[in-house]
Amino acid sequence: MKRTVPLILAFISGIVMVIAFFCREGSLAENLSQEFLIWSSIIGGFSLLLGCASIVRVQWKHVSQQKSGWGFSVVTLAAVLISGLPGVFAVSWSPLFGRGTGSIYDWIFVYISTPMSGTMFGILAFYIASAAYRAFRARSAEATLLLITASLVMLWRIPMGEAFLGTISSHLVDFVNTYIMLGINLAVQRGIIIGAALGAASMSLRILLGIERTYMGRG
Amino acid sequence: MIATFLITQLPILLLQGPSGVPGPAAPISPLFRIDRINALIIVLVFSAAVLLYTRWAKQGMKLFVRKIAGLDAVEEAVGRATEMGRPVLFVPGLQELDEIQTIAGISILGRVARITAQYETPLVVPVRYPLVLAASQEVVEQAYREAGKEDSYNKDTVQYVAGEQMAFAATVNGMMMRDRPAANIFMGAFFAEALLLAETGNAAGSIQIAGTAQPEQLPFFIAACDYTLMGEELYAASAYLSHEPLLLGGLKGQDMMKVLIVLAVIIGVVLVAFNVGGTYVSWFQVR
Amino acid sequence: MNIWQRMSSIDRHYVYLLVAATVIFPLIVPAHFPIGISPEARQLYEAVDSLPEGSVVLLTFDMYANNLAETEPIARAALYHLFRKNLKVVTVTTIPFGGPSIAERITRELAAKYHKTYGVDYVNLGYKPNYVSVLKGMGSSIESIYPTDNSSTPLAQLPLMQTVKNYADMKFIYVVADNGIVDYWISIVQAQYGIRVGCGVTSVMAPKLYAYVGSGQMTGLLGGMKGAAEYELLVGKEGLAVTGMGIQSLVHLLIIALIFIGNLGFFMEKRRAARAKS
Repeated sequence: MKRTVPLILAFISGIVMVIAFFCREGSLAENLSQEFLIWSSIIGGFSLLLGCASIVRVQWKHVSQQKSGWGFSVVTLAAVLISGLPGVFAVSWSPLFGRGTGSIYDWIFVYISTPMSGTMFGILAFYIASAAYRAFRARSAEATLLLITASLVMLWRIPMGEAFLGTISSHLVDFVNTYIMLGINLAVQRGIIIGAALGAASMSLRILLGIERTYMGRG
Repeated sequence: MIATFLITQLPILLLQGPSGVPGPAAPISPLFRIDRINALIIVLVFSAAVLLYTRWAKQGMKLFVRKIAGLDAVEEAVGRATEMGRPVLFVPGLQELDEIQTIAGISILGRVARITAQYETPLVVPVRYPLVLAASQEVVEQAYREAGKEDSYNKDTVQYVAGEQMAFAATVNGMMMRDRPAANIFMGAFFAEALLLAETGNAAGSIQIAGTAQPEQLPFFIAACDYTLMGEELYAASAYLSHEPLLLGGLKGQDMMKVLIVLAVIIGVVLVAFNVGGTYVSWFQVR
Repeated sequence: MNIWQRMSSIDRHYVYLLVAATVIFPLIVPAHFPIGISPEARQLYEAVDSLPEGSVVLLTFDMYANNLAETEPIARAALYHLFRKNLKVVTVTTIPFGGPSIAERITRELAAKYHKTYGVDYVNLGYKPNYVSVLKGMGSSIESIYPTDNSSTPLAQLPLMQTVKNYADMKFIYVVADNGIVDYWISIVQAQYGIRVGCGVTSVMAPKLYAYVGSGQMTGLLGGMKGAAEYELLVGKEGLAVTGMGIQSLVHLLIIALIFIGNLGFFMEKRRAARAKS
């Protein structure tokens, strides 16, 4: 029973979604599929409590046991409380509460979270430089091809590079656009997308039919 | 009996419209999308291929699967972590549990957790969504139980760290720089934080195995990780690691479908080259 | 460690310092270079430019706040083009975190500059959850998905929305995105409703989307800051992206130089070791 019921539920919910794709609006399958999507949003909402409990428990453990770096855990707990609690309280109590413009939650999002996210994103520029420097070595024929293509595309994407490629050959910029981006790149992207889609479809079918159960913790 | 009902009666029930008129007895087209019949045929052919190969595998047919270096390296990576006395970090992607890449990642997590349980290597699994937390905890606990190491299972192995993408990346980066895991395994859907995680892991000196079906993140993983699983290799991992005939059969069925697609593309190219491919191409348009 | 070994194993902190210096330098000494226009950018520009005055365009703000460096210039250039052509604009977003506020900020700012009236020339519909249902639902009735706009004003009170009931009343969809929602705009909206879709995305996403341009499912594509700079030049309004191209150019050249140095060191060290062995 413990194994059969989840498998039946997985089959029913999966088959409803598949059949809904072939049905018009107003059919039972289409309506059921919309209901399932709403249910999954509701379940996701309740599961946030699980997440909060997990983060508070783990970080409190670090603080209480004074593990290495426990100061960061104090900051994490403070951040959870300060950003979470004001958003939960009613707006009628104070304009600082709730999630509207001018609230603490909104202020934290606009002036702390957003700039920090942008900073993390900006770090990518540094990381791409170090990764490219380390990885693009002509150790083999394939690596050399990767190196040359990457260099051509990097030059193609900047005005100075376009001008430089133009001095080598007037057709080189068009060559990169037509044969590399719209040729090789396009073909490879399509191949990867088709392969990944087939893999996803195959895995979905195996899950639907109960052949694949590893995601439930049962091999 | 339940299976028979589900397979024969459920689809008919679902094709009913609001009036409750059963599908097959009344004209189907008001509810059934005739314009998607081509998609239905492809789905049926695909399902038949997967099921046939699964059945043949069950009957003992030998199935060849090529070597996937990244998956062969998983046990080696865990072994390295055990020797060094450092943990293994596993990230099952940054999407919700309803995404197939996350399910693939969690399937691989189960296998990895079994190995870490056997070797008694610490395992750290930071997750972005609470539902993924619940599923991952269940999978890891089950893996430890099956390895007979229920007592060494730590509930905090799987942790919810942050719901926001860059906050998650920052937290995991901090974990990598402080705990210095010997092996990082990234399996699932990743976005802009892919390079942040991989490059930080490289700086921490970890061996890194990544797998994702996001084509735009593959170049970053290839540049920064020791092994990368591309696209469908991520979905094949569960079958590859378990060597179960049923799962391998599904893999072969998928390959057969790919052969059919290649044939269809070649036929299309020839027809279009001779300017007679209009109807043939329209067969593959899904509305 | 000889010089070739040093060249092939430069500490990453020095690489970071060089990148930082290369980013800061053009801010002090601005650099401008002629920017070529790609066929995909020109295709998008011409598709929008050929729309009759008064046509309705759906402009999407499907981006997170942390990617604004690439997507905001695209959105601004697109909005400038749409307002300049006196096209009517309806904005939506599928991103709950910040998407609606980004849309409000940019549209209100540019509308004030170009004397456009809210409710008549443009409307911000905001965000609704479950993007698959939203994209599908707008095909039959926008009001069923968005009974009110982002400011909770009923659509019945907005003059523009009296003439725009679903996709059939729109002439073009201009998607500005930094995530996989583009695939859904193409597969759900373009494929099923036949409306033209053009996209401005981050540079990381652009290579994958060339497949849609090649098959004709996407009408034009802008990739990252370069794409935004191209569009700014086409619409005649140089902004953040054109300024940023100077920085991007120098950083790209730095990376290429580092790759060259690394490979030179690698090969020379390999040659030296082979000679020492023989």
